[in-house]
Amino acid sequence: MADALKDKIADVFNEPACGTNVSKSEQQRKKGCAKPLTPGAAAGGCAFDGAMIALQPIVDAAHLVHAPLACAGNSWDNRGAASSGSILYRTGFTTDMTELDIVMGHGEKKLYRAIKELVAAHNPPAVFVYSTCVPALIGDDIDAVCKAATEKFGTPCIPVNAPGYVGSKNLGNKLAGEALFDHVIGTLEPEECTPYDVNIIGDYNLSGELWQVKPLLDRLGIRILGSITGDARYRQVAMAHRAKVTMLVCSKALINLARKLDETYGIPFFEGSFYGISDTSEALRIMCRMLVEQGAEPELLDRCEALIAEEEAKVWADLDRLRPRVAGRKVLLYTGGHKSWSVVSALQELGMEVIGTSVRKATDEDKERVKEIMQTDAHMFDNMAPKDMYRLLKDAKADVLMSGGRSQFVALKAKMPWVDVNQEKHEPYAGYVGMIDMVRAIDRAVNNPMWAELRSDAPWDDPLPATTVMPAHKGACPVTHIPAGVNRPVAPTPPRPARAEGPTGAGFAGLGSSETDFEDC
Amino acid sequence: MPQSADKVLDHAPLFQQPEYKEMLKNKKVKFECGHPDEMVKEIGDWSKSWDYREKNLARTAATINPAKACQPLGAVFAAAGYESTMSFVHGSQGCVAYYRSHLSRHFKEPASAVSSSMTEDAAVFGGLNNMVDGLANTKALYDPKMIAVSTTCMAEVIGDDLNSFIQRAKEAGSVEQDFDVPFAHTPAFVGSHVDGYDNMQKGILTNFWEGQERVANQSINIVPGFDGFAVGNMRELKRILETMEIDYTFLSDVSDVYDTPSDGTFRMFDGGTKLEDVKAALNAKATISMQEYCSPKTLEYCEKQGQETTSFHYPMGVAATDELLMKLSELSGKAIPDSLKLERGRLIDAMADSQAYLHGKTYAIYGDPDFVYAMARFVLETGGEPRHCLATNGNKAWAKKMQALFDSSDFGKECQVWAGKDLWHMRSLMATEPVDLLIGSSYGKYLERDLGTPLIRLSFPIFDRHHHHRFPTWGYQGGLQVLVKLLDTIFDKLDEETDVPGETDYSYDLTR
Repeated sequence: MADALKDKIADVFNEPACGTNVSKSEQQRKKGCAKPLTPGAAAGGCAFDGAMIALQPIVDAAHLVHAPLACAGNSWDNRGAASSGSILYRTGFTTDMTELDIVMGHGEKKLYRAIKELVAAHNPPAVFVYSTCVPALIGDDIDAVCKAATEKFGTPCIPVNAPGYVGSKNLGNKLAGEALFDHVIGTLEPEECTPYDVNIIGDYNLSGELWQVKPLLDRLGIRILGSITGDARYRQVAMAHRAKVTMLVCSKALINLARKLDETYGIPFFEGSFYGISDTSEALRIMCRMLVEQGAEPELLDRCEALIAEEEAKVWADLDRLRPRVAGRKVLLYTGGHKSWSVVSALQELGMEVIGTSVRKATDEDKERVKEIMQTDAHMFDNMAPKDMYRLLKDAKADVLMSGGRSQFVALKAKMPWVDVNQEKHEPYAGYVGMIDMVRAIDRAVNNPMWAELRSDAPWDDPLPATTVMPAHKGACPVTHIPAGVNRPVAPTPPRPARAEGPTGAGFAGLGSSETDFEDC
Repeated sequence: MPQSADKVLDHAPLFQQPEYKEMLKNKKVKFECGHPDEMVKEIGDWSKSWDYREKNLARTAATINPAKACQPLGAVFAAAGYESTMSFVHGSQGCVAYYRSHLSRHFKEPASAVSSSMTEDAAVFGGLNNMVDGLANTKALYDPKMIAVSTTCMAEVIGDDLNSFIQRAKEAGSVEQDFDVPFAHTPAFVGSHVDGYDNMQKGILTNFWEGQERVANQSINIVPGFDGFAVGNMRELKRILETMEIDYTFLSDVSDVYDTPSDGTFRMFDGGTKLEDVKAALNAKATISMQEYCSPKTLEYCEKQGQETTSFHYPMGVAATDELLMKLSELSGKAIPDSLKLERGRLIDAMADSQAYLHGKTYAIYGDPDFVYAMARFVLETGGEPRHCLATNGNKAWAKKMQALFDSSDFGKECQVWAGKDLWHMRSLMATEPVDLLIGSSYGKYLERDLGTPLIRLSFPIFDRHHHHRFPTWGYQGGLQVLVKLLDTIFDKLDEETDVPGETDYSYDLTR
């Protein structure tokens, strides 16, 4: 690994703004915060994937993967990050390195030529060049190539040094943030700045979630200056350094970027979420308060409160109409980076019973909130291997599981209705209106007639009617040792074994965390 | 000329060449003297209104675009399923040409049938001579083992009596006395092809069973009914029966008749139920019909012979297949094997996987009564709503049954049944109360174009798509096929609705 990359990773791991990191000892901190990978155990995506996910939503840029076909081929257009304009980001650009390129060291030249062709054909505002395992191992210097290409063609070429082997998807997110900070942010100045300019970091506009929130900001007169990177344009990211406040959405993955914007450009940041009604209101409140602290007119706070009151009343009135469809249903939440408590409280308000929730990646504060809302911590759990989850679902007698795509098939095999609430979902659940989408999805999942067929046994497995003649018994009974024969008392209907009663909620604590994280996001 | 040997244009692009376009335009301008385009559009729009719908539904005399065929078509289809059997339709030859082309265009196979080719003098003096000559010629030309006689309207209107005609033809030496010539009166002005199927089946069974002694055994007779997916469905049903180790006889099996290999041999006759098997079928324990409306008279006749009888409504989907398997198990005493239970689990798994896309989709369905019932039932199982269910050959009893089906599900609340209505009615229904998807035959493509509702081809006839009939729609495996067809159409529609770059394509996703 190149020294520069090594230093960068060490730097990323030493995140002063991260509470977990600060509380570590010096030695622990050196080891970094990425979970060590367990060879032989199922694992999530790599650093390259993480970088790609974070940057690909910059829709007008070309994303060029310097690698043999595999990296681009497998990741090509695999996320539903919605664009309101360009579709260039969905095009799979790669150098498609061959054996000869690797053996003869033609990689750098090929990359340079690829950039040249790409700029000539598409004239994008920028080209993001991703390093991957192979060119990193053979020592291709993508920084140098990008520098030369930028100078030659006049189109910014941004090296993204996150080859897969350096670590996890989360690390890749961070490295993508570093690339933006080092090469993009601050390279363009906005035509005008207002005291109402914000950055939103960590929302990728999946299924259009940013669009569910943007109208609220529009009504408050708040402008998303820097979108990192939901429905983003390259120029928009480049001007992010002129925003007044940064909101870090849902995830700590890009906290390094938020902190550096604060340190370098004096843009304070806060962590917030647009999932759930109270979280959305809270995020708007904090955003407005911080803007006012940064120089916006104080009347913004009143407008914000008025908006919150109006929107909350409206969404509750709408949700009330869906209440009969979902009230009384038992929900099990298994989410990734979300702060679960906000969704939990909204579901409870609708008369649903949340019988368990994951608190992965949640802060201690969040865990306290969950405990407060659910009145016990017995229903909180961390990561879970598929077999544990299967058991939990089978036993918990939930009506619906809300989780990410990777739990979908585990849920279905456990005969459990399932609502997708993670990154790969096809419906947006953000902001106030998003709750309506979410409750509609729950309604659809729990009330589909197919579940009755799924959950019941095949009809011929029901106890046979008394009139049906059973086949003759053979051999001796293993319990009573009475041999089969004419004198043997024969029950016309075989008694069905009683269903074992599983734990009904109190037992979640015992399931604990699994070594293997199947819900890596 | 635009056609050249260097680049030969297909039919569709050929007449889009400027010369032809000009020619076609001139024809319209010079000879049509039609109304201005705006007025045509205005009236066209009005014909999709509630106002027009009411007038349309009040129609009493004209039928426009009927979704049914005539009795003899069903009779020819039923007879085709027996070993080396030639259908002989007593009446005018044009009708028979239609049955052959209909079956041929659907199954992409030769379909044989002959006619007594009655002419005006036959209409005046009776068709006996045509019968006498016709049977003899048929025997001599095609050497069938059996000739199944049905009738067109012409013979029915003049009142030809098949029973006595066939007797007199035999006496006149057309065919031997013991040659099998079953018959059925199949007037097109009564009922539809499903009734013709029933009549012919009863005719054939009567021919072989009448006056015979029944010695009951454990075997089960299957009456498949008129079915455009017969090739795939019969093979699937046979597989199920063989998996369950049940002794069975198909009464009319067209699966090999309408699916012969291209191996250098032309088969005038191939496959079909063996005649000795039909004779032996009298001894069966039970006769079960896959399609109730295709078999009331046949089952009544079987019951009179002492057999148990049951009928189903086209066993498609989970619950319908469950019922069929349990009945088979009950009648035969054979257990339902685990392999079928696995298939059941897989179908339900597939339904669960795609549930979010199927839930709440609305459908218009038309076809034969049994098919419409089954299709609506399966749609309800997926959480869809079969809003308009139409059978031109459906009666009041069928409508009642459909209503009971709607009432059994939360998803049936807004569903309506339309017995005896035609596809022009369907146009009004779909224009005023639109649905997401249309399920029917090839004839639905005009509704698809007119109203923009995607068509899923699942009922007879399918002329414009090839080979679908080779795959089953019955049983759990068939249910999977149907499910995939529904989903493919749903996804195609979704892609189509989201394909404008920069405008709707935020949902044009690679993964659904």
